[in-house]
Amino acid sequence: MAATKKKQHFGEMHTFAREHESKEPNFAEVMKLAALAAESMEAFCASMDATTYRELREIANYIETMKSEIGVFQVNDLKESRIPAAGEELDAIIKATEEATNTIMESAEALMAAEPKDLKSYQALVNDKVMAIFEACSFQDITGQRVAKVVETLQMIESRVGRFADAVNAKDVAGFLDDREATRAQRKESLMLNGPQLKGQGIDQKYVDDMFGKK
Amino acid sequence: MAVDHTMPILVVDDYKTMIRIIRNLLKQIGFDDVDEAADGSEALGKLREKKYGLVISDWNMEPMTGYELLKEVRADEKLARTPFIMVTAESKTENVIAAKKAGVNNYIVKPFNAQTLKSKIDAVFGD
Repeated sequence: MAATKKKQHFGEMHTFAREHESKEPNFAEVMKLAALAAESMEAFCASMDATTYRELREIANYIETMKSEIGVFQVNDLKESRIPAAGEELDAIIKATEEATNTIMESAEALMAAEPKDLKSYQALVNDKVMAIFEACSFQDITGQRVAKVVETLQMIESRVGRFADAVNAKDVAGFLDDREATRAQRKESLMLNGPQLKGQGIDQKYVDDMFGKK
Repeated sequence: MAVDHTMPILVVDDYKTMIRIIRNLLKQIGFDDVDEAADGSEALGKLREKKYGLVISDWNMEPMTGYELLKEVRADEKLARTPFIMVTAESKTENVIAAKKAGVNNYIVKPFNAQTLKSKIDAVFGD
């Protein structure tokens, strides 16, 4: 309806311009043209209001959805509780494996250095050290449980990030790294710091030996 | 060239436990004179102070990696001929190719055993 009226006004203004190409318009004609222009602007503004309102409504709805999704994300819970707890578990794992390795190595070194001259005391030493090795190996059960807790946290983060990314239709932006991350990434790439590979992904000693063509 | 079991060996690794393991394995196969360094730059300092018969180095260390140490050693006229074995968990083909190109004498993939260490040392010295 508004569009038809606008088209009609435009047509009338076009005709007026053509008719007055070679002659000066009088005051009444100028006023008529001004009235037509004002009426067209009124229709345009009315349509603008409706469009702007609709768009603002959409933005408001989107912000509401985002707010609700951010709430579900539970950023504070992750930042203040779950991620620090996972870090503490990993620290405890490192400490436990270090302690166990030390105990095992100390026992093995003591066995290697032991003199078997006195059979009775040698046997007692072997028993003691072997028992110490068995005890130290129990770290694996506890670290296994700690690893399970860390994995659970990672799965939770993965699920929440995934849900949030879907909700906001997130797209990855290439090269979005801070200076520290960029420096580390560049160092990793230039110095080939690939780290240990999973089973079946890396090469084995035989492959390396073939590359060297040596025993 | 026969293996000289009295030669000083420099073991470079940022994990004390790994140094301890390598030291014990070396002892098992007859090498007692073992020094240690926690990264490439500390190793380079030691190499410039004392003549070593062999360097056994990890790859991934900070601030200077074993790969950078290898390149520094090969670029230094006085150290260039020092035998160098890389012992690392870096098990990608590109790592081995790069180390070979930089002049490494042999390459051991972690985890490894005393027999592998012995056979690589023997190979480096042509035994």
